Amino acid sequence: MALSAQSEPSRRDFLKLAAGATAVATGPWVARKVEAKPAVITFARESSYVKNFDEHFLKVLKPAYEKLTGIKIEYQIQAAGGGAVPQLVSMVENKSGADLAWVQQEWLYRDALVDVSDIAEAVGKEQGGWYDEIKRLSVDNGKWKSVPKGNIGQLMVYRKDWFEEVGIKKFPDTWDEFLEAGIKLKAKGHPFGMSMGHGFADNYSWLYPLLWSYGVTVMDKDGKKVALDTNETAKAVDFVRKLYKEACIEDCVGWLDPHNNKAFLTSQISCTNNAYSIMVSAKRDLPEMGKVIDHALNPKGPNGQRYHALVPVTHGVFAYGPDPQAAKDFLRWLMDPKQYRPWIASGDMYFAPFLHAFDKVSEWDIEPRVKPFQKVLETGKLTSWPAPANRAHGAVVNRWVVIDMFSKACTGAPTKSVIAEAVGQLKQIYGVA
Amino acid sequence: MSRVAEASRAPALEARAHRLFAVARLGEFVERESVFSWLMLTPPLLFLLTFLGYPFFYGVYLSFFRREVAGPATFAGLGNFVTLANDPIFWQSVGNTVKFTAVATVLKAAGGLGMALVMNQNFRMKALTRAMLLLPFIVPTVLSTVAWQWILDPGMGLFNRLLVVSGLATTGPSWLGTPAMAMLSIIMVNTWRGLPFFGISILAGLQTIPAELHESATIDGAGTWNRFRYVTLPSLLPVIFIVTTFSIIFTFFDFQLVYVLTGGGPANSTHLMATYAYSLSMGAGQMGLGSAVALSMVPVLGLLLVVLTLYVRKD
Repeated sequence: MALSAQSEPSRRDFLKLAAGATAVATGPWVARKVEAKPAVITFARESSYVKNFDEHFLKVLKPAYEKLTGIKIEYQIQAAGGGAVPQLVSMVENKSGADLAWVQQEWLYRDALVDVSDIAEAVGKEQGGWYDEIKRLSVDNGKWKSVPKGNIGQLMVYRKDWFEEVGIKKFPDTWDEFLEAGIKLKAKGHPFGMSMGHGFADNYSWLYPLLWSYGVTVMDKDGKKVALDTNETAKAVDFVRKLYKEACIEDCVGWLDPHNNKAFLTSQISCTNNAYSIMVSAKRDLPEMGKVIDHALNPKGPNGQRYHALVPVTHGVFAYGPDPQAAKDFLRWLMDPKQYRPWIASGDMYFAPFLHAFDKVSEWDIEPRVKPFQKVLETGKLTSWPAPANRAHGAVVNRWVVIDMFSKACTGAPTKSVIAEAVGQLKQIYGVA
Repeated sequence: MSRVAEASRAPALEARAHRLFAVARLGEFVERESVFSWLMLTPPLLFLLTFLGYPFFYGVYLSFFRREVAGPATFAGLGNFVTLANDPIFWQSVGNTVKFTAVATVLKAAGGLGMALVMNQNFRMKALTRAMLLLPFIVPTVLSTVAWQWILDPGMGLFNRLLVVSGLATTGPSWLGTPAMAMLSIIMVNTWRGLPFFGISILAGLQTIPAELHESATIDGAGTWNRFRYVTLPSLLPVIFIVTTFSIIFTFFDFQLVYVLTGGGPANSTHLMATYAYSLSMGAGQMGLGSAVALSMVPVLGLLLVVLTLYVRKD
């Protein structure tokens, strides 16, 4: 049936309807804006690989603080696996999103963080003092810009049973022995899988320590001079190319961080460099494999030293938040031994505290294969080492300058040219001649 | 009612009449075609300006500044573009983007045409098959790319399993582990995802070709190939042209697929301009330099838009 001329909605009716709908949609928002500010602190953290850790926070710490202060804690879980840094950058750029956070790669946005020296110094004093290396990250121009939470240790993860099958009872002590072991294992169908792609931790965690153990650093101490252009770098590059060709699975040159976990858990590789999340997954889902996995420190290099790359977790308070002092008070409460120690323990020491009071605590005895991760702190360095951990260093890390130097060599580029390319990029990033 | 009272009410009545008249005039004004159309256009235009225009112009602004995350901006003029001109990875990403776009678009156009010709035939379960073929286009890219990660896995992946089980190879290739294979893989996944767009669009074009044209050609003695060559293809050209232009734009700016599958590796061999811009700005915090990479893509887009506009106007 056709509508009569009178019942047909006119354009004016439509405009009235649209205006009404807009008013209805806007009304509650406007009403909310005039209400008092809700007492909420938003705490953003990357999704943890250790389920208990997040559960402890949600079931114990969050309700305890809410009961104590009446302030609601919003626990905002961010994407894991490298996705958190862009999210944090976006939050800082938009001056919104969280009051405090696990400030990954804080050198990118230190100016947006408040001074937390009072908290860090008090926590250090009551818990045995901080490891020196972490101060090079958290302290900027004499002020603590973040409070260290712990280190996600990265070690060699290997199949003990397969190593024993080729007659290796003890994990190789030097990189040369590591190569020999890899050649034997690859011949048996159990290659190594050493990540060299555009990931965010599993590539740095062995390539930087390897480079350092050849006596090479990327920049000098002040970050004013490129230190990479040496004969030792060439030797390190040649070694990695040989290791890749003779001992590794072909795919690993392009691996992102989840790939080595997947390859290890599907029995494609016998060794990789990773946090102990592989063992956690294996014990949970593949109990037989869980029994034969072990961890070992990185091998020593020609300079007789062994190194590890730190993957630090630090918490910072954003200066642009509505109430930074409230967020600082919450952080101080969180780092009190009464809260901090059970929280760390709940994660089975996945996050190794940078505090000396934890060097010999019984929590490390939870699982003997976790214990080596404490040792990482003793020889652990920031990837900027010995140069300052600053924005330029962030650009080097996130543009994979050093990683690509090795991966290009593995995919056929000559040693001299890959070093020259890396040196060129470093000069451009640091703005040095 | 007295004359005095009536006289005192007269101005009020006059004012009311004026108001009613003004409202009526306003109503008429609003209902004019030219005014009403702009009233309707304004909200979407404001939306576009806010969510597309603002980021775009902010990006243009940033590209002329040295600006790091949470840091102050200092004017750099063309400094960022000079830096990029001397950056081998930028040029590698430009080359990769051109290669990726060219090969993937040709494959999608050829495959899409084939898909449309097959879908235009009558066969059982045609509707279901058409719906299934749309799946790659419907599934979110990140989800399907994660599935492709598994498919391309060297040891456990579907492709290599098939190669080994069928006896074609003892071990499959490393799909994402070497520069050449990684590029091939991202082109393959992009083609898989973009094929339905071509297929369905060309199919729609095919169905608008009058049957009489084919009948006349058949009467004139044209075989299948000649009917395709002289009737079908010329009739489809406008559709193919527009779909290809859109596809070039989508492919040129592809980001998710490469970001999830390779992160631009190994050794930057799959870094596209979009992934490089992202890694510079959101990863390395160099907002100005990242914006300059993103802005470098605009001339290509502009050129394509000009070509597209001219073509549409000509029609």
